[in-house]
Amino acid sequence: MIEELKNTAKNAVGVLMGEGADKASVSVSHTVTHEFNVDGGEFSLFRTLFDKKLVMECIKDGRKGTVSQNRYDGETVAALASSCLESAASSMPDDAWDFAPLSENEDFVLGEVKPDTEKLFSRCRELVDDIKTRFPKIMTEQMIVCHKEVTSVRANSNGVLFSTHKGSYEAMLMFSGHEGEKASSFFISGAASENLDRPFIELGSIAKDLENVEKQIHTENIEGKFEGTMVLTPSCTGELIGGLIMSFASDQGLLSGTSPWKDSLGEKVADERVTISLAPLDGRIVCGDRVTGEDFRAENFDVIKDGRLNAFALSLYCANKLGLKRGLNDSENMIVAPGDRSIDEIIASIDRGIIVGRFSGGAPASNGDFSGVAKNSFLIENGRIGPALSETMISGNMAAMLKNLRGVSKEQVADGATVLPYMAFDGITVSGK
Amino acid sequence: MIKDLVTDKKHLFADGANTELRAQLNRSRRAVLVNGDLVNNVRSENLGVSARVYENGVYGFSSTAEYTDDSVREVLKAASENAAFLAKHAGRGKGPHKAMTDTACFTARDIKDLEQRAYIEFAKTVDAYIAGKYPDLMSRTVVAMADSSEKLIAVSNGADVHWLQPRSFMYIMLTAAGPDGQPVELYDVIGGYGAFDANFTDPSLAYERIDRLYDKLRQKVNGVYPEAGEKTVIFGGKLAGMLAHEAVGHTVEADLVIGGSVAGPNLNKRVGTELVNLVDFAHTAFGKPVPLPVYADDEGTEATDAVLIKDGILVGYMNSRETAERFGMKPTGNARAYLFSDEPLIRMRNTAVLPGKSKLEDMIASVDDGYYLIDTNNGQADTTGEFMYGVTFGYEIKNGKLGRALLDTTISGVAFEMLKTVDMISDSMTWVSSGMCGKKQPMTVSMGGPEIKCKVNIGGR
Repeated sequence: MIEELKNTAKNAVGVLMGEGADKASVSVSHTVTHEFNVDGGEFSLFRTLFDKKLVMECIKDGRKGTVSQNRYDGETVAALASSCLESAASSMPDDAWDFAPLSENEDFVLGEVKPDTEKLFSRCRELVDDIKTRFPKIMTEQMIVCHKEVTSVRANSNGVLFSTHKGSYEAMLMFSGHEGEKASSFFISGAASENLDRPFIELGSIAKDLENVEKQIHTENIEGKFEGTMVLTPSCTGELIGGLIMSFASDQGLLSGTSPWKDSLGEKVADERVTISLAPLDGRIVCGDRVTGEDFRAENFDVIKDGRLNAFALSLYCANKLGLKRGLNDSENMIVAPGDRSIDEIIASIDRGIIVGRFSGGAPASNGDFSGVAKNSFLIENGRIGPALSETMISGNMAAMLKNLRGVSKEQVADGATVLPYMAFDGITVSGK
Repeated sequence: MIKDLVTDKKHLFADGANTELRAQLNRSRRAVLVNGDLVNNVRSENLGVSARVYENGVYGFSSTAEYTDDSVREVLKAASENAAFLAKHAGRGKGPHKAMTDTACFTARDIKDLEQRAYIEFAKTVDAYIAGKYPDLMSRTVVAMADSSEKLIAVSNGADVHWLQPRSFMYIMLTAAGPDGQPVELYDVIGGYGAFDANFTDPSLAYERIDRLYDKLRQKVNGVYPEAGEKTVIFGGKLAGMLAHEAVGHTVEADLVIGGSVAGPNLNKRVGTELVNLVDFAHTAFGKPVPLPVYADDEGTEATDAVLIKDGILVGYMNSRETAERFGMKPTGNARAYLFSDEPLIRMRNTAVLPGKSKLEDMIASVDDGYYLIDTNNGQADTTGEFMYGVTFGYEIKNGKLGRALLDTTISGVAFEMLKTVDMISDSMTWVSSGMCGKKQPMTVSMGGPEIKCKVNIGGR
């Protein structure tokens, strides 16, 4: 399969160059998915999917075109090459477009590339049974467990030729807690693993999430509003801090010039205890990308290091356009460095605040303002965890929030895609009815 | 158009099982200009075939990106084997689905696949208009895009289908500097059902919308944050549509009802005032085609309207064939898949709150202290019915008159409590069809509604 894909990719680069491209880049992939679905607590579906993808990109006279199709036979490659050149000819010249130069080519093999379908089914059934036994108030709306085998090749006209063959298992479940007609908010938890050695319920924060949701069936409302401390659970840290990186340190905010961090490289943008990395090569990340979507070998890098803005997560185009450095990978494998206090110690230090398990709100405004509903949340009063909350809104400013850090927990959750601690921020407005 | 390699394979369908065989082509074309630079110039296509087999109460599914006679046979075989595997290990002892009407539903019409140049040139012309007329803007983004989905479906029991849905849109996002130098943004979407050349015949037709967007942005730059707390508000039609889709619609999807949504214990109970009526339309509403018509779904069920709330009473759910049998309801054609490699899920189509009899000006005049909320950029809801929308534009209402514009804020509420506060509904109707609903798979949907006067929590700053 890998040799077939390599030949396809090299041939497609040749066809693009033969059609007159100045530079060309091609990615080809083949994905096989085995997936079990459980709906309403009962097995409902077994799927096997065989997908292909061919992406062809070219630059001619500084103009770039991109086309893709889910076939890569010779006829498709020829037709797509013409379409790619036509697309490029229609666009405007821009010297910022480029592809990765040749470095050292390599073939990567990651994880368990072929599935053990019988064992996957057994682990899935075990998860259904574990939930029924250990968390009887939980109703599972949907559970999806799968194995994905991905074979992919990237090649370009600079001589780059990378291949990756990887396989991993994933579990995702959406659930809520119920007692009579009382119900909690829904929650989505999940994790990935390179093998099936451990039961799914032991991965990531699945068991802790189920435990928390059982405690969120009976909720209370806050009267009025107060300014206090917001403790983000590890998964909510990923949601909010990931959104912040996307808004402030990625292409759109920098290209449009709206990012509050656009002139802050090397400057302090967060409390000095904050270090945020994008690290697909970290050992706790399952089958992280070894090659970027722009044909570079992926490397880990720190976006924020000890509170200072260390690097932007930019594409090569955006970096060239703005005279900045590109991001060394394009993954979402975020790792937030741990602190030196336990989450219990951090909570004990808070007079009034809220633990937020899920944030229901849109992306922050360009200036960093955010507001939304604190889902799956608990009140904190006098250093203790209080009742679960409903109809509670939180608001603040992302840029200001990072500087108002109360603490980062020493505990981290590794779910295969991210490694995240609890984070607590002061100065957040919490409002009820 | 997709070549038909599925209809003649019906003789391969297994006896005693429900089988669906679907060939599907999805196309997407997109050109994105940020401050005049073409940052995204992409054409993509996704063609393939899938089969789903229902046996002993469980489904087997398989798909492949190959679309040949041999690959069609292979997915049928693989889907049957998958159904047999699951039936053996976790079968539910159920027989095949009830027989359905087998009237074929062939509505597909070919559309012209424009060259990429058409999208880029149109976007450049519109961008040049904005750059020339409004040089004070901090940034501008113009997107020209089109997508389409064509399906050819053969089923063992029900309607065979050939269906094509084209959509095309322009997104215009403008950003201006606020008084403190911080960015303030607002966007508009133009377009809807139909191919790009049919919807966008002349760039100048977009200029009036751009001028209006700029004027609203200027008002927003000088806007204020609303006061936080429970307030009387008037939802514009876009927010009413979001209410219909996010806050109510998802909770009455039968698979979410089985999963424990708030709609389960509320069937046939009052969930709103008598003014509230809510319908998921199939293809026609108020004597006109809806924005994204569906005539039959991917299970071969003929599409009819799903009446969800009637005079304030929750009267129905949206169903697949399987859930309709479970709840003793009639399936209305809501089982839809996004790509060839996706299985049908229960999805909304054109979900709307029905208009009332009030006039917007009378509704505004009836509010002493509240807000008129017009534009939204996102919405989310819980299975409990608790919802949240981002509000990107609106006005204060003071003593029955519109006041200052609003800066970005968030509103929240609980659907079946909030609907009991509705005391006026306007006689107008606004549809939005540019969105994608997310639920395991994306899906094209439209939503709509009139102006609605109600009480919700507003976030302030």
